[in-house]
Amino acid sequence: MVVSLMQNGLDSRYEGRMNTCRDKICGVSILRAGETMENALRGVVKDCKMGKILIQTNQETNGPELYYLRLPKDVHQYRILLMDATVATGAAALMAIRVLLDHDVPEENIMLLSLLMCETGVHSVAYAFPKVRLITTAVDRELSAQFHVLPGVGNFGDRYYGTEAAVAHYSSSDLEDSEDSD
Amino acid sequence: MSSIGETTDRLRVLPNTDQVKELQTILRDRQTTHSDFVFYADRLIRLVVEEGLNQLPYTKCTVVTPTGREYLGIAFAKGNCGVSICRSGEAMEKGLRECCRSIRIGKVLIDSDPRTNDVRVLYARLLPDIRKRRVLLLYPLLSTGNTVAKAISVLKDSHVSESNIFLLTLFCTPHSVQQLISKFPGVTILTSEVSKSIPQYFGMKYFGTE
Repeated sequence: MVVSLMQNGLDSRYEGRMNTCRDKICGVSILRAGETMENALRGVVKDCKMGKILIQTNQETNGPELYYLRLPKDVHQYRILLMDATVATGAAALMAIRVLLDHDVPEENIMLLSLLMCETGVHSVAYAFPKVRLITTAVDRELSAQFHVLPGVGNFGDRYYGTEAAVAHYSSSDLEDSEDSD
Repeated sequence: MSSIGETTDRLRVLPNTDQVKELQTILRDRQTTHSDFVFYADRLIRLVVEEGLNQLPYTKCTVVTPTGREYLGIAFAKGNCGVSICRSGEAMEKGLRECCRSIRIGKVLIDSDPRTNDVRVLYARLLPDIRKRRVLLLYPLLSTGNTVAKAISVLKDSHVSESNIFLLTLFCTPHSVQQLISKFPGVTILTSEVSKSIPQYFGMKYFGTE
């Protein structure tokens, strides 16, 4: 932050503050729940660059997989606001952070923004990447056996967009179901 | 702020974080373009409105989450409304609507004679049951405080009690704060900055008129 002198309409001076990296902020949203936060970021940082990552859980191995990635050019020069509405185990966030580090983004330039995190997720991200800053409105203590946050908020993406999970007997490509377990 | 003294529980100023200071700097800067001015003014307005909503009463309630668990939370009491003082106050209506989707908003038009500093009410449309509601009074700038003082008397004439009036403003002078608090000790004032020099041209710059 830099303090600069400005002149207001009455020709006097005002010592204010200016954000030095306003042009170098980039939001990266983790589909689909993270996209709910994109508008809020655009509403606060005008014309913010936006990247997207889609991570789904592989049904056989239960590990996260990267399906889709779009990042701005020279992403390593930006401060990254990584957005996901809920963080349960932290698996998706960990993979997203690894992807950003693979693109040479310095760890201390990454901030993970979320509405609700679970203690498990907080610990796993903080332990793996101690320089990443975690910002959330609340931290719930428990995870259910299916890796849902308890008491939680439900499936945030479904509730926000008004969609419903596909019926359970589609086992191989049941994207809605796998979204719960991140 | 020491001149405000023991009245500080009636006056709440936004925490002076770097972000807030930056917004104030952009709004005061004469080089700011019109579209930037509107964008950053909307942001500062939104912050003050959110803080204003924090002053309203709430009740504890328990909800059941989709996982079947209970969560002990709070819910804000209904029965609020907004009253904006034309014209500059109307800039703040959007911020209030973004937080409370269908809140009712009354309007008051007050004219002040620049020579005599007299204020007159030209137009007032308030809710018929406003005496039962909490009122968020919207007006971004207080220099003498005369306009707002007149608006508060209009509200009191409609039987709104002072403790139900919350004035939301962006910039005010210490003089106006003293005047309002001594005349209407029950009113709560929320602002982003109290300072001797305030950006007087806010209304003109926001609406792009001369």
